[in-house]
Amino acid sequence: MWRGAIQFGLVTIPVKLYLATESTGIGFNMLHASCLNRIQMKIYCPFHDEVVPRSETVRGYEWSKGRYVVVTDEDLEAVPLKTIRAIEIAMFVDAQKEDHGAQFVKSAYYLEPDPVGKKAFFLLREVLADTGKSAICKVVMKDREQLAAINPYASTMLLTTLHWPDEIRSVEELAVDAGGIEIKASERKMAEQLIASMTGEFKAEEFQDDYRQALMGVIESKVAGEEPTPMARAEPTKIGDLMAALEASVSAAREARRDAAAGAPTAKAKAAGGAKAAGRAKKAEPAAAGERQTRRRKTA
Amino acid sequence: MPAEQLPLPELPSIDHPRLRLPDRVNPMQPTAVDAAFDHPDYFFEPWWPGVRAVASAERGRVRLQVAGLADAEAAFPELEELPDQLAEDGVVLDGTLLVLDAEGRPDPELLRARLSGRQPHAGRPAYVAADLLWAAGEPITRRSFRIRRDWLEAILAPGDRITVGHGYRGDGTLVAEALARLGIEGLSARRLTARYRAGAAGDAWLRAPVTPAQPRPRPTLALILRLPLGEPQA
Repeated sequence: MWRGAIQFGLVTIPVKLYLATESTGIGFNMLHASCLNRIQMKIYCPFHDEVVPRSETVRGYEWSKGRYVVVTDEDLEAVPLKTIRAIEIAMFVDAQKEDHGAQFVKSAYYLEPDPVGKKAFFLLREVLADTGKSAICKVVMKDREQLAAINPYASTMLLTTLHWPDEIRSVEELAVDAGGIEIKASERKMAEQLIASMTGEFKAEEFQDDYRQALMGVIESKVAGEEPTPMARAEPTKIGDLMAALEASVSAAREARRDAAAGAPTAKAKAAGGAKAAGRAKKAEPAAAGERQTRRRKTA
Repeated sequence: MPAEQLPLPELPSIDHPRLRLPDRVNPMQPTAVDAAFDHPDYFFEPWWPGVRAVASAERGRVRLQVAGLADAEAAFPELEELPDQLAEDGVVLDGTLLVLDAEGRPDPELLRARLSGRQPHAGRPAYVAADLLWAAGEPITRRSFRIRRDWLEAILAPGDRITVGHGYRGDGTLVAEALARLGIEGLSARRLTARYRAGAAGDAWLRAPVTPAQPRPRPTLALILRLPLGEPQA
């Protein structure tokens, strides 16, 4: 948790920040293979050839190859930073607009208003939501000044820390060249169809980390003392089942049409005609059978 | 007198079939149309979400021709059983390769895993034959689809992996409704009186989109393959 205040102009809104996400990845520990004990990492100095206690270490900044200056805690505290304990709003931008670097996000924090700043907090939230703006601000966290954006989120606001522009790599290093590619109107139409057919509402809860679940399954069975069972072999499925599903679906569609026709007498004639035309194109018609026999004789 | 001796006629035999099957077939390519329709001259089938594959069986050996895949037989070894289901030798089929999931539904993800060679045993491959190009070592592409289809049903016995695809004559919109319920997004319509054409099919083979009942959670391979994203990597 981080405690500070949002500041813009003469307004100060005391808030707390809580990390909005947690990592659910599965962590492993390094063990010694023969005894299965946790391996310890010792800090080692190659110059003295000895293990160094953490208290005997200092921070160094490599300002040129192999040359360091020592930066002490006092030095860090003396850094003149306006944004210490403050979330300094610098400007407001359109929330939906691209290309302002706000898509390179690091982590997300929930904002919680202090009771004294409640009114200002919700006023800011409401205005941001109504005008579709994001607040761009600077905040010092973990010894670093961070660039961040504040957006309304659910009942509160979300502060997302962003990368500084010089941390964002240029796309010019990539081989992205759209020259010489011609997209036909029909191809574009197909792509649009694909996208339209898959357009929906993003519900994050419908997605899950399948790999993590499968890995957890392996671990759980090992904890229970079993050999991990290989992924359950699928029962042999038959292509005939798929054809049966198709037949069933066509029958159902035919039933649905018949019911619709019975419900609406005016549509009856049309539906009856359709039903006659339907039905599996089956077995040779006399002409076809004749042609085939002819061929048989010829090749015999 | 050697001069008077006529060469013996070459008899077809197992070692020397009358004609060798073509190494490669230039497959018929469907014409895209906007919507499903009803027409008594057309035979409607699902556009199975898989990859187009031409399968040849010659003297007990199976060859698969899949666009962009150098060694399709190795990726789908299960289809070696095709000759056991055929009543004739020297057969070329046109159809769709699918990979079924545990519930027997075509799974584009599993198919991709197979095609890329990442998981050579993913899922359960299946082949749905739709057309017959060669039978008994002879090309029959000049015959009408009605005859080729009838022939196909006669010589290919349905099995657990390989079968003749079911289809319906005339009522395309009804089949489209049925497909929407199944979540299949395309309808194939072949004209019964048309011959098999290499390349563009004209009106001999049409492909219509089927609007799915609900938006699909992920793209089907059928749709992806329709996009101009290049050949799948072999």
